Amino acid sequence: MKQEGLKFFTDTHLTSIGLIIFFLFFVGVVYWVSRKDNKRLYTEMEEMPLKDAEFTYER
Amino acid sequence: MNTTSGNLIEKIYYDDDIVKKFLLATMVWGLAAFLFGLIAALQLAYWPINANMEWITFGRLRPLHTNAAIFAFAGNAIFAGIYHSTQRLLKTRLASDLLSRMHFWGWQLIILSAAITLPLGYTQSKEYAELEWPIDIAIAVVWVIFAINYFLTIRNRREKHLYVAIWFYIATIITVAVLHIVNSIEIPVGFLQSYPVYAGIQDAMVQWWYGHNAVAFFLTTPFLGLMYYYVPKAANRPVYSYRLSIVHFWSLVFIYIWAGPHHLLYTSLPEWAQTLGMIFSLMLWAPSWGGMINGLLTLKGSWSLLRTEPLIKFFVAALTFYGMSTFEGPLLSIKSVSALGHYTDWIIGHVHSGALGWNGFLTFGMIYYLVPRLWKTELYSKKLLENHFWLGLTGVLLYYISMVTAGITQGLMWRAVGKDGQLVYPDFIETVVRIVPLYWVRAFGGTLFIVGFLLMCYNIYKTIQLAPKEQKAEGTEVSRSGFDEKTDKTHRKLEGMGLVFSVLAFLAIAVGSVIEIYPTLSLHKYITPANIIEPYTPLELAGRDIYIKEGCYVCHSQQIRPIVSEVLRYGAASTVEESMYDHPFQWGSKRTGPDLSRVGKKYPNLWHFSHMMDPRAVTPKSIMPNYPWLAEKDTDFLVLRKKLSVMKQLGVPYADDIVANADIDAQKQAKLIAEDLEKNGGPRNLQKKEIVALIAYLQSLGQKGKQ
Repeated sequence: MKQEGLKFFTDTHLTSIGLIIFFLFFVGVVYWVSRKDNKRLYTEMEEMPLKDAEFTYER
Repeated sequence: MNTTSGNLIEKIYYDDDIVKKFLLATMVWGLAAFLFGLIAALQLAYWPINANMEWITFGRLRPLHTNAAIFAFAGNAIFAGIYHSTQRLLKTRLASDLLSRMHFWGWQLIILSAAITLPLGYTQSKEYAELEWPIDIAIAVVWVIFAINYFLTIRNRREKHLYVAIWFYIATIITVAVLHIVNSIEIPVGFLQSYPVYAGIQDAMVQWWYGHNAVAFFLTTPFLGLMYYYVPKAANRPVYSYRLSIVHFWSLVFIYIWAGPHHLLYTSLPEWAQTLGMIFSLMLWAPSWGGMINGLLTLKGSWSLLRTEPLIKFFVAALTFYGMSTFEGPLLSIKSVSALGHYTDWIIGHVHSGALGWNGFLTFGMIYYLVPRLWKTELYSKKLLENHFWLGLTGVLLYYISMVTAGITQGLMWRAVGKDGQLVYPDFIETVVRIVPLYWVRAFGGTLFIVGFLLMCYNIYKTIQLAPKEQKAEGTEVSRSGFDEKTDKTHRKLEGMGLVFSVLAFLAIAVGSVIEIYPTLSLHKYITPANIIEPYTPLELAGRDIYIKEGCYVCHSQQIRPIVSEVLRYGAASTVEESMYDHPFQWGSKRTGPDLSRVGKKYPNLWHFSHMMDPRAVTPKSIMPNYPWLAEKDTDFLVLRKKLSVMKQLGVPYADDIVANADIDAQKQAKLIAEDLEKNGGPRNLQKKEIVALIAYLQSLGQKGKQ
């Protein structure tokens, strides 16, 4: 299967580069969002849609 | 841009008129899209509904239905939601009223052009990118107008930080522009005809990179943005986890762009690209379900609203369908599952659970939320809303269950091989007749969905009618915020920098695109010189264009997979070389009828003539439409020189004298076929007719190799 899969593929460096970029990026995002000191900021951000006055019922 | 926050209260006026326009257009085009779909569904259940009329025959109606559903219904819906929510999230009016109106009217003109040209048979045959080159240019122009208006609005904002919905909108604007431009590179042959620069595996790769990401970035990311705004608004609660929404956004944008090749499993596309597409599709499970869970849990503690605010039912159902279809999508991308499901109605069921259940229900929820607020009134009837919901839900479920059942049934019949090593159902028509009853169930489900939709239209009409006649614009008081905040939090800074954020989103989609598409552009790597084929003769090329015009690719594939049952049924598996001169490729994605890659020389010319005039004359119980106009309309021989010269420009090895004599050679070949038809009892004097060119093309399929 592996041999079959790679039979015609000569640009192996491309997938390696893609994998590295993808993995590092993902780790970076997970690191960002899991930082505890961001909690206040997230609370503020998630309230943004609720700030205007177009509600019909009380919270 | 003022860069300070302050206590200054400003009174601003949102442009809600443009939102109203897009909302009403959503409902008008939605009705058209659903009705086209219903007629197409009935045509499959009962072929005489094709009515022997070329303009509404299934092959031409189906692209009209898909384009109307995606670009007219969903398109107008996302523009309405984006313009409404963005102004409020950024605390500013849209940057330019003129650009907003150019966007609206330009988009409606594009839809109108599609509604005229597709029934007339002007198509590139690339799914969801069928529109011809002048309309392609118009789409690019209107999209750029939208983008300029949007990014200027971001620049004018009074809220520095961009809420997650805005990120999804930015990713949509950037990615759709890239997809449309790259997939639409074509050379015009005439005013409404062109050939794409890509051929064969290149064209397939680029097309399904586009096709899948049209689903991703036109039907998913903008709707997720709407979900992150309207579900919290309707529930009056913040999104369940903002952290999760960040991971959801970046992982979805990064992964989705790679998944296109799962539409091409077991084809002659290089195996590495197929495997890459499959693996990234499986990875999509995580972000998709993360988003769904985030949406549903937003309602945690507010489920009682389902009783008092029934429009929330639409959001809950939409998110459930999103979860279901994004579970099923990766499942169908597993090669062994794809081997069964691909080319069958299972895929049609899958697509409609997403389009009707996710996009449709989210749009309906948004309309019910917006109309009373924009027109400053109450909804006319919650009871009608409830009825709409249950009718729509029953309709979608009937549609989905019938199509999945039909797909699995037919897939199993196609692959059934007996102990003697022969096909159990060698006649394709046997496998069609078995599922026709399910086509009726599908049409019934579609009817219920439309009845529900009509209830909504009536409800909205009455709501607007009861609204105050004098709609005085009310200003909103806002103050600037977030601009002078000191922070060293990287993502916090990033959210405040619209341009940098947009560039990063672009890079996220560019990496996958380049890595997948670049290698297939070096077509020579995959070609075995000994297997190189002959190009089509001028008459065959003319016939091929008729095949495209009639939308034959909608029901017939031209790609035999290396699977035992397929090789037994259709012949040796398709090769890279066999489609190397195909601008555009004609591999298809659905087999309502059998594969045609090796149909050449399988039947005599007269068989093809009889089949096209009345398919039931040679295949009893066939559900294919009649094509009587092909024996009446003349082939345009004169344009063939131009067509061959464009093909030569694209790299098809036509000698100069072949190009120069294209029309003469075509007429000679047509005469031979017409004589053969006449000799065997067919009508006389057909040599100038389109049917002869089409027969020439069909007889060439699978016959162009040197061996």
